[in-house]
Amino acid sequence: MWIILKAALSMAGLGLGLGIILGIAHKKFAVEVDPNVEKILNVLPGANCGACGYAGCEGAAEAIAKGEAPVEACVAGGHEIAEQVAHILGKDVQRKRKPTVSLVHCKGGKSKVSHRYRYDGIPSCSMAQQVASGPLMCTYGCLGFGDCVRACPFGALSLDGNSIPQVDVDKCTGCGLCAKTCPKDIISLVPKDVPVIVFCNSKDKPRIKRNICTVSCIGCKACEKVCEVDAVVVQNNLAVVNYEKCNGCGKCVGKCPRDCLNFLELKA
Amino acid sequence: MGEAQRLFFLFLGALLIYNILLIRFIALCSFFGVSTRMTTSIGMGLAVIFVMTMASAVSWVVWNYVLVPLHVGEFLYIPAFILVIASLVQFEEMVIRKISPALFRAMGIYLPLITTNCAVLAAATESVKPGFLKLHIPYRFSFIESIIYTLGVALGYTIVIIMFTAIRERIEGAPIPSSFRGFPIAFIVAALMSLAFMGFAGLFGL
Repeated sequence: MWIILKAALSMAGLGLGLGIILGIAHKKFAVEVDPNVEKILNVLPGANCGACGYAGCEGAAEAIAKGEAPVEACVAGGHEIAEQVAHILGKDVQRKRKPTVSLVHCKGGKSKVSHRYRYDGIPSCSMAQQVASGPLMCTYGCLGFGDCVRACPFGALSLDGNSIPQVDVDKCTGCGLCAKTCPKDIISLVPKDVPVIVFCNSKDKPRIKRNICTVSCIGCKACEKVCEVDAVVVQNNLAVVNYEKCNGCGKCVGKCPRDCLNFLELKA
Repeated sequence: MGEAQRLFFLFLGALLIYNILLIRFIALCSFFGVSTRMTTSIGMGLAVIFVMTMASAVSWVVWNYVLVPLHVGEFLYIPAFILVIASLVQFEEMVIRKISPALFRAMGIYLPLITTNCAVLAAATESVKPGFLKLHIPYRFSFIESIIYTLGVALGYTIVIIMFTAIRERIEGAPIPSSFRGFPIAFIVAALMSLAFMGFAGLFGL
C-alpha cells in the first residue's frame, strides 16, 4: 500500500514540478507572432514552390507582413491571391500581373526524332544532358525524362505517350519552376490568353532539321507570309511569335507544312 | 584501463559496435521515414543528438535523485522518463524558438517527432540501467559516463541515417524492378548495412 502511494506521489510531484517549469517558460520565452503572417499564410497556395524567391510560403508570408515584399509577391497565386493578401493588410494591389502558363516548345519526342545513341543511364533529363547533350539527334529537343514533371509542385505537367510533357492549363500557375529545371530551356512562360505557339525550339539548319525530326520548324516562312499583323517572324531558322502583336486569327496554323504551329487549346 | 580510455571505448561501443539503428533495430520508424532527402535526415540527426543528450542527462538526475531514493525506479522508470522527455522537448522548443529562430526553422519540425521517439527513451533508460554491457554485477553509470554513452548512441544514429539517405538518394535513379522500388529496396539496403556493421563486433576485443 505504501509503495503505491509513494509511486503516485512521486509521479504527481514530478508532473507538477515540470508543469510549473513549462508554465513559467511559456511566459518567459513567449515569441510575439504577427497575426497577419498566419492570415496571409492561409491565403497563399501553400505549395512552397519558391518562385517568389523566399524559402516557402511561410517565408513569403513573413516578408509580406513585414512589408519587405509586395502584396503580389506570390507568383503562383496570381492576381486573385494578391487581392486577398492586400485585403488582409489593407493595401492596394500595385500592378496587375498577366496570368501566365508554361509551355513546352517541342513536339518531337521519342518516336519523331531519330536517336544518336541508346541512353541507359539514370532516367533524368539533367543526367542525359551531360552525356553529349542527350541521345536525340536534335540537341534542342525535349529529352522526355520528365524533370519538369517532378519539379511541378501543382501537378500541372504530365508526360504523354510520346514522352513530351503536356501542360494542364487549368492547374498551371505560371510559377516557372519547370522552366528553371529544364536543361534544354524548351519551356517558356507565355500569357494564358496566347493563341498561337511554335512547337519547335531548334536553331539548327533547316536541312538538318528536316532529316532528323518530322515536326520541326524548317523556316519556310509560310506563316510569316500569311500573317497580317507581322506577329510571326522567322529568326535563326525558327519561327517566333510576338505575343504582343498576335491577334489570334489562326491563319498561320493551317499553313504550317510541318504541323509545329498550333493553338494552345489544342495542345497538340 | 585508464579513465579516458574507458570512456572512449564506451563511446565507440555505443557508436559502432552496438549501433542503435543497425545492430539493435531501435527507432526504425524515423530511420525509414525521414531518410528520403539529405536535408531532412541531417536536420533529424542534429535534433536527435541535441534532444537525446539533454534527455539522458535529465533522466539520470531524476533516476538517481528521485526514483532510486524512493525505491520506485524499477517499475516506474518508463512513465517517469516519458514525462520528463516530453516536457523537456516542449521546453527546448520554446527556448530555441526564442533564442534562435533560424535554428528553430531548421530543427523545429523534428522536435515534436522526437518527443515520442523510442530511441530517445532507449538511450535515457540505458544511461541509467546499462543493459548491453552483459555484466554479472549491477553497474551504474556516473553522470559523465551516461552523457558520453548517449552522445555515442546519438552520433551513431546520425551517421547511419546520413549514410542510409545517401544510398537511398542514389537508388532513386537506379534501374530497379518496379516491385522493389521504394521501401522494399530500402529494407534490403538497411539489412546489408546491418550485416556490414556486424563486422564491428569484436573490435578492440569488446
